[in-house]
Amino acid sequence: MNLERIMQVDRRIIYLFVAAGTILPIIFVIGLPVSITPPVQMAFDRIENQLNPGDVVLVSFDYGPSSAPENAPMADAILRHCFSKGIKVIVIAFYPLGGLSEAVNELNTVVAEFPDLEYGVDYVNLGYKDGAQAAMRKMNENIHEVFPTDLRGTPTGEIPMMKNVKTYADVKLCVTLATGIIGEWWANLVNAQFGLPVIVGPTAVSAPKYYAYLEAKQMVGLLGGLKGASEYERLVVNKYPHLAEVYATPGLYTATKGMDVQSIVHLIMIAFILFGNVVYFTGKRKPRKAA
Amino acid sequence: MRKQVPLLLTFCAGMIPIIALFVPERHVSTVSTTLDSWLIIVAGFALLLGVVNVIQMNTNKIRRKSSGWPYAIVLLAGLAIMGTFGFAGAFDVFGGIATRPDGSSTPFDWLYQNAFLPLQGTMFALLAFFMASASYRAFRARNVEATILLIAALIVMFGRIPFGEMVTKWFPITTEWIMARPNMAAQRGIMIGAGLGAASMALRVIVGIERSYLGLGKGE
Amino acid sequence: MPSLGTWLAAFFTLCMLSFLYKDNPFFRIAESFFAGLSLGYYIGIVANQTIKPNLVLPLMQEFSTNWHLLFAGGLGVMLYFRYIKRVAWVSRWALAVYVGYYVGVNMMQKLHGEVLPQVGDTMLSLNWAGIGTLWNLIMVVGVLSVLIYFYFSAEHKGAVGGISRVGIWFLMVSFGAAFGYTVMGRISLLIGRMVFLVNEWARPLIGLIT
Repeated sequence: MNLERIMQVDRRIIYLFVAAGTILPIIFVIGLPVSITPPVQMAFDRIENQLNPGDVVLVSFDYGPSSAPENAPMADAILRHCFSKGIKVIVIAFYPLGGLSEAVNELNTVVAEFPDLEYGVDYVNLGYKDGAQAAMRKMNENIHEVFPTDLRGTPTGEIPMMKNVKTYADVKLCVTLATGIIGEWWANLVNAQFGLPVIVGPTAVSAPKYYAYLEAKQMVGLLGGLKGASEYERLVVNKYPHLAEVYATPGLYTATKGMDVQSIVHLIMIAFILFGNVVYFTGKRKPRKAA
Repeated sequence: MRKQVPLLLTFCAGMIPIIALFVPERHVSTVSTTLDSWLIIVAGFALLLGVVNVIQMNTNKIRRKSSGWPYAIVLLAGLAIMGTFGFAGAFDVFGGIATRPDGSSTPFDWLYQNAFLPLQGTMFALLAFFMASASYRAFRARNVEATILLIAALIVMFGRIPFGEMVTKWFPITTEWIMARPNMAAQRGIMIGAGLGAASMALRVIVGIERSYLGLGKGE
Repeated sequence: MPSLGTWLAAFFTLCMLSFLYKDNPFFRIAESFFAGLSLGYYIGIVANQTIKPNLVLPLMQEFSTNWHLLFAGGLGVMLYFRYIKRVAWVSRWALAVYVGYYVGVNMMQKLHGEVLPQVGDTMLSLNWAGIGTLWNLIMVVGVLSVLIYFYFSAEHKGAVGGISRVGIWFLMVSFGAAFGYTVMGRISLLIGRMVFLVNEWARPLIGLIT
């Protein structure tokens, strides 16, 4: 077999391998176990052990369709955790290209699983705002001025749960599901200047740099990419077993199911990289052999 | 005047948030938070500047029948449809821009779910294929540095999937150690360096040394 | 039977995926339509979520308290004067305020929110107290060597060159980790689209046919 010729194979063959590696585990679910890492455990413990029913958490949807397969499962898991524990949630969005619509999608999906929740009492969607940094700074002075109405047009002051929530001091925690730089702003602006504890759920592409913020205690938890989302799902299901039924819904996309597919495609990629290097090193040795 | 006033405005607008951080006095805070309110609104207007630019460019393309002009029509059609439903939503026509209280989709939301989301999602999904092809062809351990990069990448890729832990528990442990120690140290170094660079650039803009954002050169 | 919306979503998904075979008019149409939709989306959310609730309604409902927002609206409108040649210079004033403000905010964010906390957290104890001290040493050496690598005002020779080399190794480990995570991230996006195609479009369709 000529290894050099295999290296020149049409890229579309590689694409077929990747496509097959993605589609087959979706059809034939494997059900691989998920292990928990410390940053995700920290995030879970913060909400589970340091917040009480009735506390208010800010959940900021700072992502769009470009990273929804990673961030949406994180958002769902966080919302399910908060609602299961009786924590009140204020939903906002700062990402211009889809943040608002993703917030509406995920909130509608999760709220449907908790029929006892009442809009305006247990949760509220204040919508999207431009100028994220300006809005984040202003929220420390007056959240009602930044978000004068909720998504439905109701004045914020008339919403029952917002009557006693005016500034960051009235909020216990912010969880941001972020793509790009907005997640960093919660850590290096809001936490640094106003002291609000922050959990960030970044995409896997951004996750490596957030370890520096986590280590410097500018964040209290980190959910990195789809793996982080699957770990949080595992933690939430372990603590609230009634949610296992939700996650077992056939056809529902969850991070845990996504990790099955992730595992297969990772193996394919690793195989490609190793094979490419084997051919490279074999090719390097050949001229010496000929001599 | 046309050059001095903008530079003065930049200086004032830049210094207000900086002074407000160090001087927690009532009047300073009032000025700073008022400026925050204004810039939320100005940021909204700024976001739409690109829309005007794109409309100009594409109408010129259609008028001149430049290469690819039919696609410019498609672009403007998409802009017009989504923009009309979005703008109408501001007047509560069609029920706004999110889902209605009964759970049904407004036209804006329907287009988002069934056109915008699949288009953007798939556009980014293509990157997975390109990444696989590029890794296969180009990711080689040519020297010491590339070998370190390759080994770290392989450990992280294998350690982050369940198979890694099934082979040995040391894969996920090593992966977490790589992320929390050497990776974190390097990212911190990059962050400090980039932070200092960004801060010095910001200072240059505030004091008027850097004027390119106004379309002015250094000597102007 | 998949709904009309699902069919549309599947059509657009397949148009985009067709680029993997080769560039074609379906992909170009989908790409152009996406660009238009993005800009239309901006119009919708800015009008609905910022201009209306933060500018128009406060001015209409409580002008006496909110009259200062006229300046904000004025600055916003001034940005668009750049498209009128005779008064394009006016847009510089609005741009100056916009750029000045965000540059000032960023400067404090970077110094107060990044540089100081990160430098502070790097000042770790190197007194031997077990394996933790070794990790502290790795951290300190890593941060310092990376910073020295990025210091291009001194030639990377001798001691500086040697320390820079160590910095490069740390950077390579970080980039390798970042590559691994990037692979994970990109694949996740593909998984999302494939789950949609298989579960929401193909399965109901196959169910209907069989």
